[in-house]
Amino acid sequence: MTPGTDIVEATTSAATPERGAEAAQAAKLTVRELTKRYPGRRRTPEVVALDNVDLHVGAGEFVALVGTSGCGKSTLLRIVAGLEQPTAGAVRVDGETVVGPGPDRGMVFQNYSLFPWRTVAGNVAFGMELARWSRAKRSARVDELLGIMGLTEHAERLPRELSGGMRQRVAIARALATEPDVLLLDEPFGALDAQTRLAMQEFLRSVWLRTGATILLVTHDVDEAIYLAQRVYVLQASPGRIVEEIVLPFTSQRGPAIKRTPRFLDLRDEIHDLLLST
Amino acid sequence: MAATVELRTRGRRPSRLLDLRRDLPETLRWLLAAAGLLGVLGLWLWAAGRESGSVRVPTPAATVDALREQWREGTLWSDTRASSSRILYGYSISMAIGVVAGIAIGSVRSVEATLEAPIGFLRYVPANALTPLLLMWLGIDEAPKITLIVLGTVFFNVLMTADVARSVPRELIEASYTLGARRLTVLRRVILRHSVPGIIDVARINLAAGWLMLVVAELLAAQDGLAFRIVKAQRGRRVDTIFAILIVFGIIGMLSDLALRWLRNATSRWARP
Repeated sequence: MTPGTDIVEATTSAATPERGAEAAQAAKLTVRELTKRYPGRRRTPEVVALDNVDLHVGAGEFVALVGTSGCGKSTLLRIVAGLEQPTAGAVRVDGETVVGPGPDRGMVFQNYSLFPWRTVAGNVAFGMELARWSRAKRSARVDELLGIMGLTEHAERLPRELSGGMRQRVAIARALATEPDVLLLDEPFGALDAQTRLAMQEFLRSVWLRTGATILLVTHDVDEAIYLAQRVYVLQASPGRIVEEIVLPFTSQRGPAIKRTPRFLDLRDEIHDLLLST
Repeated sequence: MAATVELRTRGRRPSRLLDLRRDLPETLRWLLAAAGLLGVLGLWLWAAGRESGSVRVPTPAATVDALREQWREGTLWSDTRASSSRILYGYSISMAIGVVAGIAIGSVRSVEATLEAPIGFLRYVPANALTPLLLMWLGIDEAPKITLIVLGTVFFNVLMTADVARSVPRELIEASYTLGARRLTVLRRVILRHSVPGIIDVARINLAAGWLMLVVAELLAAQDGLAFRIVKAQRGRRVDTIFAILIVFGIIGMLSDLALRWLRNATSRWARP
């Protein structure tokens, strides 16, 4: 673990997370000593986007990675997805080293990632078509997911006919369709208005509770991270470095009410301070 | 009685007729379209009414007569068919190359790096300058004509298709990879699919260049075809026949454009503005 990283334990143990928070040995996803440097050119200096980052996500765990914009958190997620290569270090899923993108790591992008020519149902079915699921199995799974996402009556619509929140629900359904080992979310609600954003957070929590998915969420929204995750990694910018790992003291059954509790507000202040001090 | 007070105004008043990018009322649209067409017809009638020097413009009626005459003789149909089939063959080959090479260049950097220089050179060689070579090498049958149509359009088709492929959002490609797609699958089912409306637009734009090359080919060596008929009419000083053929060119062009537009809308409802 990087120097300066210590685990802030929950101050009270009244409410311990029910599911796999501390399961480092049973970790689904591990990131080891990950460094990403962009070499400098004549006039631009070298950029260290990520400096020796370690993290892990247990099976069924919901982990958030919070940081200001430009701190390398999206880069980290993209490396986990296999869309970018690290300069040093490794990403492992179930002990296997990631060398490129694959359907075992579903990803939801911030924006514009739905296939515009495919209907809602067609978008959700894409991964299953690639995996050569039978037509019957596909349509059963599409129905199931659209039911969970509340999109059943929009199955035949095109992405352009949907609101931003609906589009992201489709993107989440599409990523979950073939039951990936890990679900990676890159600022999934960043482009949504405040009200939709809150509704989508509730929604994502319910999806997590229902599906038991392993989730790594990248966000700059501290409230979002605390409200949704079981554990939060705080990433500081230039060079991108994890400065804190916080195990959240809330249960999985938390509701929006916890956002006004002193504990929530304290954690929020603490993380904000960490993000501001560079 | 209160004097009328002239209120000062602010801002630029919108103009109904000349506003930028603002839709016109439907009736006004049709009126203007009709006015445009009638204007051309009027200009033609005016020009046909003047008897000056060696320039003689046939009247619309004479042109229609010439068209009828050609129809009776059967040449109108056979010429149209000959020219259209040359275009169909030549332009299909050109589009096929354009789509395959264009998608590859627009998607794979190594292909782009390899082909950029040769295409950059070749596309500035005017295709019609190759006509003598083609006649020497390929004879005077259909082969040189079709080849000329291919050469005259293929580089535009390749480069413009490459641009279309480049404009596929990177996130779509990345999302496909995270859903389990292989490279070839992404090329076919994402990049190509996303490019369909753009490719049809490319085909529409460059088809005009195809007809240009066809005329070059037929003027030099042909026994039939619309441009051949124009040369023949010139020898007989039949201005009305030439006008008739020009109108046929225009009509074929308009129809093919309509057909491609229909195809675009039929395949790509999602891309309509």
